[in-house]
Amino acid sequence: MSTAEISITGEPISEATCRFTVDRPVYPDKSFAFLNKEKAEGSPLAERLFAIDGISRVIIAHDQVTVNKTVAGEWPGIGRSIGIVIREHLATGDPAVSDAVWEDMPSSDEIRASVQQVLDSEVNPSVAEHGGVIRLIDVQENRVYIQMGGGCQGCGQADVTLKFGIENSIRASVPEVAEILDVTDHAAGRNPYYTPSKK
Amino acid sequence: MPRVLLLLPTTSYRTEAFLDAAVQVGVDVTVASEQANTLGHLNPAALLTLDFNDPQSAAQRVCAFARRYAIDAVVPVDSQVVEVGATIAAALGLRHNSIDSARCAGDKHHARQRFQRAGVPAPAFSLCSFDEDRAALAARIPYPCVIKPLSGAGSQGVMRADGPTQFVPAVDRLAAILKCASTAPHEPPAPREFLVEQFVGGPEVALEGLLTEGALKTLALFDKPDPLDGPFFEETIYVTPSRLDDATQQRIARCAQQAACAIGLTDGPVHAELRLPPGGPSVIEVNPRSIGGLCSRVLRFGTGLSLEELIIRHALQEHQELPRLQGQPAGVMMIPIPRAGKLGEIRGLDEARGVSGIEGVTISAHLGQTLVPLPEGAQYLGFLFARAESSTAVEAILRAAHACLEFVIDP
Repeated sequence: MSTAEISITGEPISEATCRFTVDRPVYPDKSFAFLNKEKAEGSPLAERLFAIDGISRVIIAHDQVTVNKTVAGEWPGIGRSIGIVIREHLATGDPAVSDAVWEDMPSSDEIRASVQQVLDSEVNPSVAEHGGVIRLIDVQENRVYIQMGGGCQGCGQADVTLKFGIENSIRASVPEVAEILDVTDHAAGRNPYYTPSKK
Repeated sequence: MPRVLLLLPTTSYRTEAFLDAAVQVGVDVTVASEQANTLGHLNPAALLTLDFNDPQSAAQRVCAFARRYAIDAVVPVDSQVVEVGATIAAALGLRHNSIDSARCAGDKHHARQRFQRAGVPAPAFSLCSFDEDRAALAARIPYPCVIKPLSGAGSQGVMRADGPTQFVPAVDRLAAILKCASTAPHEPPAPREFLVEQFVGGPEVALEGLLTEGALKTLALFDKPDPLDGPFFEETIYVTPSRLDDATQQRIARCAQQAACAIGLTDGPVHAELRLPPGGPSVIEVNPRSIGGLCSRVLRFGTGLSLEELIIRHALQEHQELPRLQGQPAGVMMIPIPRAGKLGEIRGLDEARGVSGIEGVTISAHLGQTLVPLPEGAQYLGFLFARAESSTAVEAILRAAHACLEFVIDP
């Protein structure tokens, strides 16, 4: 494969973060967040990216590579180096992420227990004030599926509670968790705490 | 990473759109609402409670908060938080509409006074008191007229009267609506005054724009193909781009710019509603907020940016050429509430979703909800979204999908 054939689009989403979308899968149907350089050891693409000066975090998810930097400087300059690394890596045919990273990962059952503990001790006692309840439906690898019930189901503020309350609490206690997916049928909520209105 | 303060009333339709946009833009977010989130104590950097009815105390609270978590932009998402947003931005020294202009925009009487002084074409109006003798008032009002509360949105409490026999009951009804609203928690006392306006006939349009240092850039112009002749003013279908000729669209844009300038608005989103009588556009409303409900979902700009992303980036003063609205005609239907009662069942959803050109059907009312139609009500049953090769086709698709839906409403 010629590296010139690989198309990569860089999209800075802030001064510190840039997302690179590749025209082919880099880590097919999987994602992994490398929160530091040490974690990247043994994962070829992540190792190469952390070798670039100032790179502080790398997330590799299917056809996207999201990179954080700590150094000053415009993304176009650093982005060119990142593009070269991604192309060179794909040309090798090596896996982007070592299977070994998953060895350190707690099992789904361990993540399930930790998340349930957070829900039981922090989240549910609070959302119960509005008649709400958060149920843990499933954990697949490090992906967590939750369902919002009672006053939270169909609530106009459900998105705020999920993104800034539930996700924040779970990630603080169980940092290995990747995605947190809400599988609630909000349209079927019969007793939402807040109902939208036009003002 | 910059931090954006979103002023988000707990009953806003716009929550998901603005939170998704914040993620796309890649900013830290603090959500401020008028009531505490039950998980606020677990994430104090992201969840804040403010008294939206007391802008000064809200601004003091935010200034104290900002000493710990610096705020780079303030984005009020609905009409009811426009004034508090301007007050907070002023206290933080951030670019924003002035407090005076924000307050004026929220008061229909003051806004019309400024239109009049600036020569902006708008309906003739008079400020009336609920304490006046209503029969005497009815005898001196020119007809047809429109009775309105001084503040509010979504046509709640707005009624047309063609003569004294309609005028007096309409004023009684508006007084009852305002009294009922004032009994809700966190609401100020019912006002003692209301507005009576000349009814202006003709089609109505809605302009969505963005102000930068006083210059208004039109982002989208919507036709409202359903006639809005009263007795109530239920908004239903919005379609963009407009089918009006270019010269008329330019007159509308100029008129909206004049109206924004007359109020003193300078920065941020603008939602304007104008009537088109034979003599030229007439301004009905100009508000420093974006389009209400879930209507913004039909708008995509440039490479796929949402309206809310544009608003957040603009508030952060990211220097950018405003992208153009994506080409294909699109529309939304705000599904009206046909009668009062409890929502028992919704039939025909799959059929509506199956209409070719329909992009989405969202029911925002929930089963068991007590439905209140206009003029008392302030909610929608839901929204239909469509996209097609022409604005005419979009309108037909929305009507076809709506015809598939049946709402069983128990008395």
